[in-house]
Amino acid sequence: MTQPSERLAKRLKRILLLVPYAIKHPGVSVEELSAKFEIKKDDLVDDLNLLFMCGLPGYGPGDLIDVDFDSGYVYVRMADYFAAPLKLTPVEALALYAGGAAMASMPEMEEADALRRALDKLGVALGSSADGSALVDVRFEADPSDHLRVIREGLTERKRVRLEYYSASSGELTTREIDPWSLYAALGRWYLVGLDHRSGEERMFRVDRIKSAALSDDPADVPDDFDPSTYSGAFRDRPGQPVASFEISPAVARWFEEYYPVRAASTLPDGWRAVELSYAKPQWVASLILSIGDGVRNVEPAEIAETVRSAAREIAAIYG
Amino acid sequence: MRRIERLINLIAALLEAEVPMTAEQIRERISGYDSAGSHETFRRAFERDKADLKAMGIPIETKQLDTFGDTPPGYIIPKSSYYLPELDLEPDELASLRIAAGAVLGVEEEAGTGVMKISMGAIDETAGAARPAWNADVAASQPLLTPLYSALAERVPITFDYQPAGADEPGSRRVRPYALVHRKGHWYLVGHDERSDDMRTFKVARITSDPKRGEGSYEIPAGFSAEKHVLAHVGAEGDHAVATIRFDRSLRWWPEQNLPGARAKDGPDGSYEVEMPVASLDALASFVVWWGPKVEIVGPPEARSHMIQRLERSMS
Repeated sequence: MTQPSERLAKRLKRILLLVPYAIKHPGVSVEELSAKFEIKKDDLVDDLNLLFMCGLPGYGPGDLIDVDFDSGYVYVRMADYFAAPLKLTPVEALALYAGGAAMASMPEMEEADALRRALDKLGVALGSSADGSALVDVRFEADPSDHLRVIREGLTERKRVRLEYYSASSGELTTREIDPWSLYAALGRWYLVGLDHRSGEERMFRVDRIKSAALSDDPADVPDDFDPSTYSGAFRDRPGQPVASFEISPAVARWFEEYYPVRAASTLPDGWRAVELSYAKPQWVASLILSIGDGVRNVEPAEIAETVRSAAREIAAIYG
Repeated sequence: MRRIERLINLIAALLEAEVPMTAEQIRERISGYDSAGSHETFRRAFERDKADLKAMGIPIETKQLDTFGDTPPGYIIPKSSYYLPELDLEPDELASLRIAAGAVLGVEEEAGTGVMKISMGAIDETAGAARPAWNADVAASQPLLTPLYSALAERVPITFDYQPAGADEPGSRRVRPYALVHRKGHWYLVGHDERSDDMRTFKVARITSDPKRGEGSYEIPAGFSAEKHVLAHVGAEGDHAVATIRFDRSLRWWPEQNLPGARAKDGPDGSYEVEMPVASLDALASFVVWWGPKVEIVGPPEARSHMIQRLERSMS
């Protein structure tokens, strides 16, 4: 039952958006409208055909919605009650507000002033308090170094950047040449995604672990099929990587699955969670397990459990 | 008539109704409800329609038509709750929001629909503008945010179970939400807590039940600032101790660059000793182990011994 219901809800939401748009833009072409709503022309025509049967009680010629698109241009009349869209849903409002506020905390944004005015207006419409203080307040950490600015310049100028980068899994500082593809903020930190010329692979880098960043003159293109939406959180799962499994306490489970895309998770009888996580380097997953401390048990495979123990011994040695 | 047509007719009729319509009136007047069918069939169809529309965020309200409740209730969609208010955005304001929405990760589709709604009547289309060179994941898809945000926007007090840091069991809280705040990757709810009759900050990740909406309403006092309360909370969480941490000479650039205001001094062999406020001894140990043997907790003694004991347990 949920499947047809979800499809129906999706379609109804689209129609409640499409009709106000067509009313506000009389004569918009069928092509433009289907492009705008990212649907096939036939589906749009189906949506418009549906409206012929709709209107107000009485359902006479003066009550039904008047739809005309025979000429290839769309006119919707007699539906003034659908001339404005439905208010923003909570997630839509949060997405806009949070995205805007995150952007406002970027350094040196040209649009900063316009954005602040827009957020004020949005805040009022969403019901901010009487004196205009915002209901939703998102702020991103400023970058105390100059790296964000340099990387952004690399992204806009399409230039390669040269980094001195500290890798947590190897514990080493390395010099790398990166074609920057995306800069993103998640979980309170900034990350750079790009092509790492040292490994020839797509990699992500924590901006706070960059010791120095410099722009080079070499061109750096972003591949056409690069999709930044595949990145979220602080980690990206890649197919074909080895998998470690372990159990985490309920207290750890509350944040862990938000930070790390676990492959599989199940709750055990005592409330702990069994999780599976893929990894590139054993040292990395060992550090992660060590950082969870007492909230982790039953680490598999044995190779990883041994890496955790030897990493613990190595650190304990300095306290000796 | 298909169900979707019936739903559109129901929305149109309840939006245009001057007074609430009873179920009987809906059955007789709205096209799509077969008035010849059995009463039970109608009832089931209407209940399902109502539930689905509400789930989509369409504000169908149930009104008692007399004070005694002797007559059946009526249904209406108040225009003020349905329509998006006019925002009067200037073209540059709209363009900036469009860029911001394009940068949101995790809720891309909702951000797109949101922009579509607020830019309905705009003639100056900046759509198709270059993608921003950066993205932001603000975890807006976290499921509890929806009920918390709705309660806040409508000023409805809520009850939920909350497990504070260090507590073994969650306790029930009754709260008037004043603001939702995102800091350092976490969402916080700031609000008036009934039990302490004071302002409190709740980490959303520590709310352990779905919020239940209570009775009544409230106002957010003029001059209210969420910032102050969140800072106090994040500060209080981290008020446990100040630890001194030694970074090996190869890593001294990290605190120098990322903790510019911290108290620090040179340590032995070119190392760098920096003071950091820490949320708990456990959080400190978790932070430090990521650096391997190149970063050491110098003090206080209880922080060192906590670290050593934790490492011993990890070795066994």
